[in-house]
Amino acid sequence: MKIMEMADLALKEALKLNVTDVSAISAQVNEKMIRFSNNSITVNKQIKNLGLFLYIAKDGKRITGATSNPSVEEIKKFTSNLVKACEALSPSPDYAPLPKGEFQYHPHEIYDKELAEDETRMIEFVKEAIDAGLRAGAERVSGSLTASEEELAILTSGNASGEDRKTLILLNVRAFANREASGHGLSCATRLRDFDPSEAGNKAGEYAKASMNPGSWEEGIYDLITMPTVTADIIQHVGASASAFAVDAGLSFLADKIGQRVGAENFTLRDYGMIEGGLGGRGFDDEGLPTRENTIIEKGILKGYLHNNTTSKKFNTTPTGNAGIIDPHPWNLVVDSGTMSIEDLTKEVKKGILVTNNWYTRFQNLRTGEYSTIPRDAAFFVENGKIKHSVAGLRISDSIPRQLANILYISKERRWVEWWEVSTPTLAPAILIKDVTITKALE
Amino acid sequence: MIALNEDLLASAIDLAQKLGAEYAEARLHGTKEIGCLLRNGIPEPATMGDFYGIGIRIIHSGSLAFSATNDISKENVKGIVESSVKRAKASSSLLKHRILLSEEKAIRANWRAEEKKSVENVGFEELLELLKDIDLLIKDGRRGVAFQNRLLLSSILLEEKIYMDSNGAVIRSRVPRVGFHSYITTSYQGKIATITIPSGYSQLGESGGWEVIDRLKIFDYVQKEAENLALVVKNEQKPPRETMDVVLGPQVVGIIAHESAGHPGEADRILGREAAQAGESYLKRNDLGIKIGSKEAYVSDDPTIPHSNGFYLYDDEGVPARKRSLIEAGVIHEFLHNRATAREFGISSNGSSRAVSYDREPIVRMGNTFVEPSDYSLEELLEDIKFGVYIKSFMEWNIDDKRFNQRYVGLEAYSIEKGEVKGMVKNPVLEITTPKLWSSVDARGKEIEFVSATCGKGDPMQGAPVWTGGPNMRLRGIRIGGR
Repeated sequence: MKIMEMADLALKEALKLNVTDVSAISAQVNEKMIRFSNNSITVNKQIKNLGLFLYIAKDGKRITGATSNPSVEEIKKFTSNLVKACEALSPSPDYAPLPKGEFQYHPHEIYDKELAEDETRMIEFVKEAIDAGLRAGAERVSGSLTASEEELAILTSGNASGEDRKTLILLNVRAFANREASGHGLSCATRLRDFDPSEAGNKAGEYAKASMNPGSWEEGIYDLITMPTVTADIIQHVGASASAFAVDAGLSFLADKIGQRVGAENFTLRDYGMIEGGLGGRGFDDEGLPTRENTIIEKGILKGYLHNNTTSKKFNTTPTGNAGIIDPHPWNLVVDSGTMSIEDLTKEVKKGILVTNNWYTRFQNLRTGEYSTIPRDAAFFVENGKIKHSVAGLRISDSIPRQLANILYISKERRWVEWWEVSTPTLAPAILIKDVTITKALE
Repeated sequence: MIALNEDLLASAIDLAQKLGAEYAEARLHGTKEIGCLLRNGIPEPATMGDFYGIGIRIIHSGSLAFSATNDISKENVKGIVESSVKRAKASSSLLKHRILLSEEKAIRANWRAEEKKSVENVGFEELLELLKDIDLLIKDGRRGVAFQNRLLLSSILLEEKIYMDSNGAVIRSRVPRVGFHSYITTSYQGKIATITIPSGYSQLGESGGWEVIDRLKIFDYVQKEAENLALVVKNEQKPPRETMDVVLGPQVVGIIAHESAGHPGEADRILGREAAQAGESYLKRNDLGIKIGSKEAYVSDDPTIPHSNGFYLYDDEGVPARKRSLIEAGVIHEFLHNRATAREFGISSNGSSRAVSYDREPIVRMGNTFVEPSDYSLEELLEDIKFGVYIKSFMEWNIDDKRFNQRYVGLEAYSIEKGEVKGMVKNPVLEITTPKLWSSVDARGKEIEFVSATCGKGDPMQGAPVWTGGPNMRLRGIRIGGR
């Protein structure tokens, strides 16, 4: 069964059962992945899934369902079970009808036929990345390469009808110059012509070599340069905090701050449903509204939250094309570029740290944004505008609102980031932040 | 009950072998889940998931391929087997280390978690009523502290599978799980904090039927935690920043066991397979027998604990599960293995291979990781401490990707003076290396407690159900910091 036929079947079955609202999204995803470590392929994967996602409302009662059983019989059964389950729920005063349209969606700009159909070049790409890492000074290289093709179809009781498809190729490389010294590189693209495995492997290898023989450092307050991968990790939490559901549920450090200064004047953050190179591109949201450009923070001022139809009703505003039935979310976060090169950012630092990658971001208090995260791979001590030596064992222990307010400079160079630790696609620059608390294990 | 078709698996394995695979396994794996979400007493859309498909692993020419699909028609399954063999062959051009598996006895078994009240007879009404009752209990806040946002979540997950491999193993299983967790935003005199119950973003959860709700004593638990939260939020007393003795509560001990003993003991990390994602380990392959802690440091992982969240009796490579002693008297005693890592080490697998759904490959995972209890009461742990802190629960935590440098920030925490628990202290920070931590342990309590959690690892990501736990544990001479 084709995906539009799946959505159509589910929509009709639900409407037969007298529901008031239905959104049916079906998806065909074909994902190929090669994982490698110690310069050798460890597993070659292929995952082909056909899935159906349904939102149903009846008499103010609401339910969502997802199934991977794609046959006609199973879709009928699943839809019927979902409606029955919905009828047993309590009505919600938050219920809002799905948007009514005819809607026009963006043309498909993020589909690369060559990428979708190429079965043979993935191993060559992995080899290129490994070889580049080794040439740059690494002794072993690990990573994963994912190439995926996704087709989506949506039908809603609000007359939304659309199809979407995209391709994606993501390479995550980690190179080791010795047991302790590692570097990280990424290449993330929607088209093969924007994909560069050698550059990612080379960057990982160079960073690995440069992070050998780390020097000493003391915990304290530093100016911090976050390279794009680290910026993206921090920014994805800003994006999550911009969800009106997160605001309403007490999970956001941006709550109650619309119109207020939440960042430095040079900091602007937007979300795009569709943008050139955008790894998370979608033409429609889960309620059938066309996605669009939304400004979250402009010149440091919080302009608005991301909404679905339910949250926009509660906040007395209009939906932004970011549904998520329960939790609206960003599609592609984009930080406006600055004017300086990354080299010039470094020149502005008297005593600071430059971090190239991080992981394990956890919050002490989601509402205030107090958190810590651990830089991994290459990190460097910077003094009087120059990189002095690599450092290890760091932890950024601060608060995201304080860091946004303390942004000094933003680089003009930006990179698309999506990898194991950063799930929200983000076009991120390097950022220089003043007075960030860096801690270490006390003993 | 999902349809588990043995013939389909057998034909897939047969075809893989005919195509030259030296090993093949196939797993039909279904997960059904329902969940409710109550925000400030108002139901958000309920959620229902029904996922079912086949995952196939084959080894050809020493090269491993994994394929998965939810289209389980014979024709499609034949296609993915053929594709697996083709992709494994193609990978062999960039294969430096042939993948071999340990020899294991082929088992035929049918196992299930105890389930007194079938989860299939429980619907959204029960899940939602549970949350409404909990919300009624806490909606008015405590001790003048308002609980202005309350996000409560309850869920049931039923996992059924049939596993078959070319060694002749055929294993069927069924594990239901029931869980609860929540986010509470407190407000007091202009201060706002979002805190989870249970703390540290963990959950209350067990394997079993709807009787789990009675066993968990959720209402008593939430009631007690709500009282503590109010005290935590009101407290502004900064912790002392100096060297002192520290007693850690079971929740803190549990996360430490998981992060600082369980993960570094995963043999796939030690061999570098997870290097670009979850990372490697401070432990090297020859580190069995090295001393990492005091004679009081004992950490185990046991998937066979009845009712546990990480319960299983056979892993996803058909190997019987058993208790693993990770650290014994301060010495690294055992790593967690699947069949590939076991072969690398020249031993048998200890049954640590798990996959969370049909479209995920089995990899080395923990089950239920904990510090072993001993024989001290809390009073006995405290009695000779002149000056210290008791960190009972936590929120923020993290650890580096070698599992060496870690941080736990206290939530409910008290000062200890002359052997007695005194006033609360705010957010004491334990930021410490793994050897220092385990070397400082000098006594363990006798009562063990667990919370459930979802452990992230793999690429694509797999969130595996686990328990973390332990008794109260005393550490001597630790430097404590503050936020």
